This record gives sequence, C-alpha cells and structure tokens, in this order.
Amino acid sequence: MGIVVENGGILTTVQDEGRFGYQAYGVSTSGAMDSHAFHIANILVGNDMTEGALEMTFIGPTLRFTCDNIIAVTGGDLTPMLDGAPLPMYRAVLVKEGQKLSFAGARNGCRGYIAFAGGLDIPLVMGSKSTLLRNNLGGVKGRKLEKGDEIAFTSPKTELPGMEKRVVPADVYPEKEIVLRVVLGPQDDEFTENGVRSFFWNSGVITNEFDRMGCRIEREPIEHKGDGNINTDGISLGSIQVPANGKPIIMLADRQSTGGYAKIGTVISVDLPKIAQSQPGFKVRFIQVSLDLAQSLYVRELEQMKALDRMLNG
Amino acid sequence: MDVKFLVAGDRAVSVEFGKEICLEVNTKVRMLEEKLKESPIEGVVEVVPTYCSLIVHYRPEVVRYDGLVEALKDRLEHMQAVAVWKKIVKEVPVLYGGETGPDLEYCAQLEQISVEELIRKHSEHIYYVYMLGFAPGHPYMARFEEPYSFKRRESPRVKIPARSVVVQQNLSDLIPFEQPCGWNIIGSTPLDICNYEKEDPFLLNAGDWVKHIPVTKEEYDRIRRDVENGTYQVKSYELKENA
Repeated sequence: MGIVVENGGILTTVQDEGRFGYQAYGVSTSGAMDSHAFHIANILVGNDMTEGALEMTFIGPTLRFTCDNIIAVTGGDLTPMLDGAPLPMYRAVLVKEGQKLSFAGARNGCRGYIAFAGGLDIPLVMGSKSTLLRNNLGGVKGRKLEKGDEIAFTSPKTELPGMEKRVVPADVYPEKEIVLRVVLGPQDDEFTENGVRSFFWNSGVITNEFDRMGCRIEREPIEHKGDGNINTDGISLGSIQVPANGKPIIMLADRQSTGGYAKIGTVISVDLPKIAQSQPGFKVRFIQVSLDLAQSLYVRELEQMKALDRMLNG
Repeated sequence: MDVKFLVAGDRAVSVEFGKEICLEVNTKVRMLEEKLKESPIEGVVEVVPTYCSLIVHYRPEVVRYDGLVEALKDRLEHMQAVAVWKKIVKEVPVLYGGETGPDLEYCAQLEQISVEELIRKHSEHIYYVYMLGFAPGHPYMARFEEPYSFKRRESPRVKIPARSVVVQQNLSDLIPFEQPCGWNIIGSTPLDICNYEKEDPFLLNAGDWVKHIPVTKEEYDRIRRDVENGTYQVKSYELKENA
C-alpha cells in the first residue's frame, strides 16, 4: 500500500542522495538536484536524510494515497493541495488513506520534493533508488512517473514523536537573478586572462537547454587559449565546462562522469540548490571564492542539517 | 614525477599525471587507483580514472583539501609497490560486416586494403581500455600497432544499435546502448557491454585489454543465445610477457 499516480506532472522522478561508486564505469550519479530541500523533507518525516523521495518539476503530480502515511513537501513552492485545500510546506503532515495530493503550479522556485515516512519501496540499482532517465536506470522502471504507476511505502507511519515541532521555515528562492559562487579550476589555465576576467565580470542568461544534466548559459563568449578541448577527464558536480563556442554549461546531477571540454571553475556545493530552483531567462552572475571558504560553508550547512536531524529524530 | 592537483570544486580534486594520451601516463593513473584500493583515504567517496588523470571525489566534512592532498602525495610516493601489472585480456567475439557491420567494406575502400586485411588489423592486435565513460560500460580503447588512416564519418548517425563495434584510426569502441555515433560500424558483438540485471553489469574495466575474435553468423547467434540465457562465460586470461 502506498500511492497511486493519477497524473505524473511534467517530470516527477524518484531521487535519493545519488549513485556512487560507478562513475568509473561511466554511470552518472544522479540524485536530488536541490539536496538542501531534499534533506529537509526526509528529516521532517523521520527518515535518514538520504532516503529516496519524489522530485517534481514545475507542475507536480497528482497522487492518491492507498494507506495513511506522514509526508513533507519542500523545495520550490508548486502550490501543494490536499483534497483541494492548501497543504502547508516544510511541515510533517499526516495524509489519510483515500486522500489526494495535487499541485496547482509553481509560485516560487521550480523543483519540489515529497518525502514519505519510512521511505518508498523502490529497488536499489547499483546501491541507489535515483532515476537516471538518459540510461533508463533506477527509480520506477528507469523513467518519470506516469499515470497508473503504483509505489508502495516501505513502513508507513501514522505518528512520529513531536509532530507539532516538525516544521521549519520555508526556503525562498530568487525570482529573476542568481549569483553563484565559484572556485576556479580544474582547467582555468586553459583560458586567457581576459577570458577569466570576463567570466566573472559579465553576467549571462539561463537558456532553455536546462535539464537535470546541465544548464546552458547564453552570454558573451569566454575566451580560450586554445580550442577548448582537453583530454577527457572526470567531471564533478557543479563543474562549469566551456566548449569551443565559449558559452558555459553548468554540469548537474545527471551529468556524464567524464568529458572533454575545459572547465573554468566549479559552482560551490551550497549554491547548487539555487540553480536547481532557477528557470530559463534568469540572469546568472558568477563570483569567485576560495576553496577554503567553499568547504567551510559546505561543512557548516551539513552540520546544521545534522543538528536539525538530532533535534527532531534524536 | 610531475603530478598536478587540480581543484575540481569543494568536493573533488583531479590528479593529473601528464598531458599526453599514452600507456605510460595512463599506467600511472591506474597505479594510483590501485594504490588507493590497497590503502584507502578516509573521506574518499570514489575515484574515476581517465586518460591522464584520476579524479578523486571526497567529503570535506571528513577530510579537507590540504589533508587529502597530503594523503594522496603519500600514496603517490609509495605506489611503485603496486606496479606489478597483470595484463588481463578479454576475448570479445565480433561478427564483421553484414547488416550489423554496414561500414566494413567502405572502411576497406577508404584504407585501400581488402576486407580481410582490415579485419586482420582489428582482430590480430589487442586493444587497451584507457577508461570508461560517456555511457554506462562504454570503453575508450586504442591499439598500438597498424592504425587505420580514416577518421570519423562526415555526418554522424542519429542512432546506432547496442553492441556495435565502431572504429577510427587506432581507436575502437563497443557501444553499450543505442546512441548517436559518428564513427564507422564494422561489426557487432554478441556480448552485453552493460547489463544492469547482472550483479556485475560491466563487461570491461579500465586497464583491461581486448582481443576481438572474428565469428561466423552461426557462432554469433549461438553466443548471443547463451548470453541471454546467462550461461556464457567471457573468456579472459593473463598475458605473460617476456619483458
């Protein structure tokens, strides 16, 4: 018993922390695009923060519950409704058998998460529940949710300790412009001094070529020293690769594990959710920070998340 | 050793051993990879070997950049000890030409040699798996003798079938899943290059060597049946060299 999908929405997939240990074989990590909102959703319902949840995009799904369970909806505000009445976000809520969860459209941000107490009964493929659409891997039959899909709950709950305390302030996302902090490298030396200066000086605009794999940015070309090609090497999450045309692409959750374009810098981990919640047409500006700061911010956020987890879940 | 540590964001560092795609540089990449298996660094999530570098994905909450680089330097200093290289050869049956190898004759024409000679060059020498990437299980392979002179096709195909054997110059790849491709297709293998259903989904590892074995249509069909039934054992052996 769990949920029946009455409408899949635009792009709803099962995602967890990601699939690790197989990048050496050419398997993308996948995982939640906005890991911050994803972690909070799980913590609110008492799950391990890396448990598989649903990631939805712009227009969420319509789900009918075939048994009671506690859920939390976080991330972009896609206007969640329970049986037609507004459902509070960033709060653990008990949904009863027969009730219907639907979404009335994006108001702020664009990617939302639904975590279910006890988790979803999705088989692990190479250690992960994450869906990798390009390779039809993981999740529900390797694809996005469709009408008629049924997903069972692993161990649904009707109560959790301190239900009234299971609420946190909602994240609010920028509406038109984002600033992304970047650590230089790994191939900043493949660009001219002018190229690097212009990368930080001039802003760009997010194009329609923006999906779970990457986010292409239209802007004044960034100047390479050579042709922009390198010996194919490993790609990390948030890498900004710049092909021969000088237009950057930020590499996201479903990125290929390796690639042959020079990478000028890498968006710092704590800023990745900003990209996940952006839309085509948003202005993007990059600013440079030190690696030390980037790591300190990342570790601090992780500690805050663990503190929330301890507070709510002991 | 001229090793560079390239910062790839706050959770990865790329260890680069050189700029030239060659066995010597790639062997160092593989040595560090092996050394890290033997002597792991706490906080390292996974490593990905490529032509000239090993990217190390790590967790800064466990080990910060400076600490990681220090630990990597230690492993680099001591990695000679793992340099006892086994040359593992895997045999990959190939049905050359026909419907599933549509460019075989065209390639022979380009090369101005007979089809038999083209096949001989492809199947007599062993190919080295520099790395895997692009798609799950997709190998990047090269041979070190008698390269072809032709490169990619002028216009790439939008889709080529899984298990295609494609070539250009000294390179040859095995296509795990249907994909677009600009290389010439000279044959098809009955083996699965990647099969998620299997406990070990991948035919090849980085560092393996591949020997293509020409097979007839009958042999191809029989092997394919065995693969689908899960009864086929990939032939693999260690190549002992005098040197």
